[in-house]
Amino acid sequence: MKTPKILAAVLLCLCAAAAGAQTTERPVLSAYTFEAGSSHIAETYLSPLKYSGWDIALGYERLQAMKFSPERWVMQLQGRLDLQRASNPAKNARMWNVALDLRWGMAHRWKLGNGWSVYGGGSTGIDVGAFYNPRNSNNPVAAKAAWTINALGAVAWNTHLGKLPVCARYQSELPLTGIFFSPAYGELYYEIYLGNHKNLVRGAWPGNYFGLNNLLSLDLRFGRTTMRLGYRCNILSTKASHIVTRRVEHAAVVGIVCEWLSLGPKNNSAHDAKIINALY
Amino acid sequence: MKFKAIYKNIAAAATAAAISASLGGCHSIETWENDLYGNFDALWTIIDQHYCFFGSKDIDWKETGERYRATIDPEWKEKDLFFHCAAMLDELKDGHTNLISWFNVSYYRNWWSDYPQNFNLRLIQEHYLDFNYYSGNGIIYKILEDRNVGYMHYSSFAASFGEAFVDEMLYSMRETDGLIIDVRDNGGGDMTNVERLVSHFLDKRICAGYICHKTGPGHNDFSEPYAYYYDPAENHVRWLKPVIVLTNRSTFSAANNFVSVMKLLPHVAVVGDVTGGGSGMPFSSELPCGWSVRFSGSPVYDPEMHLTEHGVDPTPGGKIDMDPEQEANGIDTILEFAIDVLNRAAEDKNPPSETRLTRHMPHD
Repeated sequence: MKTPKILAAVLLCLCAAAAGAQTTERPVLSAYTFEAGSSHIAETYLSPLKYSGWDIALGYERLQAMKFSPERWVMQLQGRLDLQRASNPAKNARMWNVALDLRWGMAHRWKLGNGWSVYGGGSTGIDVGAFYNPRNSNNPVAAKAAWTINALGAVAWNTHLGKLPVCARYQSELPLTGIFFSPAYGELYYEIYLGNHKNLVRGAWPGNYFGLNNLLSLDLRFGRTTMRLGYRCNILSTKASHIVTRRVEHAAVVGIVCEWLSLGPKNNSAHDAKIINALY
Repeated sequence: MKFKAIYKNIAAAATAAAISASLGGCHSIETWENDLYGNFDALWTIIDQHYCFFGSKDIDWKETGERYRATIDPEWKEKDLFFHCAAMLDELKDGHTNLISWFNVSYYRNWWSDYPQNFNLRLIQEHYLDFNYYSGNGIIYKILEDRNVGYMHYSSFAASFGEAFVDEMLYSMRETDGLIIDVRDNGGGDMTNVERLVSHFLDKRICAGYICHKTGPGHNDFSEPYAYYYDPAENHVRWLKPVIVLTNRSTFSAANNFVSVMKLLPHVAVVGDVTGGGSGMPFSSELPCGWSVRFSGSPVYDPEMHLTEHGVDPTPGGKIDMDPEQEANGIDTILEFAIDVLNRAAEDKNPPSETRLTRHMPHD
């Protein structure tokens, strides 16, 4: 006689869980941004001089509350394609830099009240690209590649500007460890092409791979779409085999933020569901 | 409680990172003023930290720098500094070292100007090729019908030839006694073209040489030499009949490397003058005033670990200069010597070995 009772209990639990799942929806927040500003770059493999110029980038950000604990945990996916062109101090040589940065992270969210939230967590990602100095003969390119594990922190404030809902956010990321590519001090890529792949991968820590990605954004929520305005300051400074690479960007950010909710033929719960947004 | 522990760990990691960052921060980069002394110091430092032949050339760069710095006149104009810096670079005696400004490119020429040129392209085109030859991407070639020898001149390894072009050239010469590869006045170019051309003369994988690089700014900071290999050209025409490579002092850089590899093949002999050298792979940098500088940064060694910066000697018995009197009569004595050796080697059915070259020296 015990078996039917246990089965009934299990069914009740499953139904309760199903009922609970029905009441929670986790919209995806997708931001598409364009960034433009100034760049200050140095790559001593190519030149001992510091170059200055412009920077443009396309960015994508996806934020969503995590399924296992939507009130407390959020995930973030970021992608950024960056192009920089800078001139030497004499203005007679150019250096180009192209970089692709992809990161995935998770952060805990603490709701502090009055619209304030604090996020703390970690992320991991890859940053690949190259510096190109067309004036150089046998060393015109310095390739870059890194995989890092980063500390991630943010603070957000949801408030109103008049009647307009807005969300101000500051986010920062700091690589803690990982690996990155670097040739030796005077090693030509031709030697790498010939097959010498020794010591090309270095361990990263903030002493030899210091980065700080800062984003200050203001999301203006006009009805169904949201406009994002912001300022980005990214700093990267690496040193390996006496080669110093430095990349500093200051850029204005403008973009569109959309919120998406998946609805399928079997999913009619959105009308009465509790909406848990990762940011707003 | 779990979240608190995670938060504490994250906070601790972030704090440690922040401390590390504040200690390391952005890494320092040496800077110089954009004035006479700043630019001179930048040039001296770049060469001091990156140039790769101080040891093998026995140059006291510190003394050289002090000597030249002491004679800078603060009233000098831009051009005065340029020629002063160029004179300092000339002390390296390196054809790969240039100072490049908007008004001039410095160039150490004595590695070839102190020697006979030993090459006259017009003479060959007129008296041996009858102005009627195949050409493509830096290579001209023709079968010297009355001598039964194939001849090709490759003017620059910067010119990338087509594999089909080389296949056709070698196949067309298959009935000749041998092939003459003339790389006189070939100032070098792309090392990958060296590999592509050499691969047509291989029947097995060979060690083509060694390369190393600087691992730090010290004069003796070098990596272990790295052996690199060339493979036979698969699915292409390969030439294993006798070959003579013609050289002069203007055979430089990648062409110098080509000669050093070919010389070790059993069916190849080198005839002419000692090559010009240039075995340091060039590296580039720049000064605050915008001038750029190029210099030897990575030494390349031949397959026997000899440094060929000062040139590759011809095969013993193969050292020969052009006779100016014969040249006036339309005769290239280096080319004539090579043709004669190939013809005789074909008669004997042997490659142009060292003893054969010696036996056929004109004075014998």
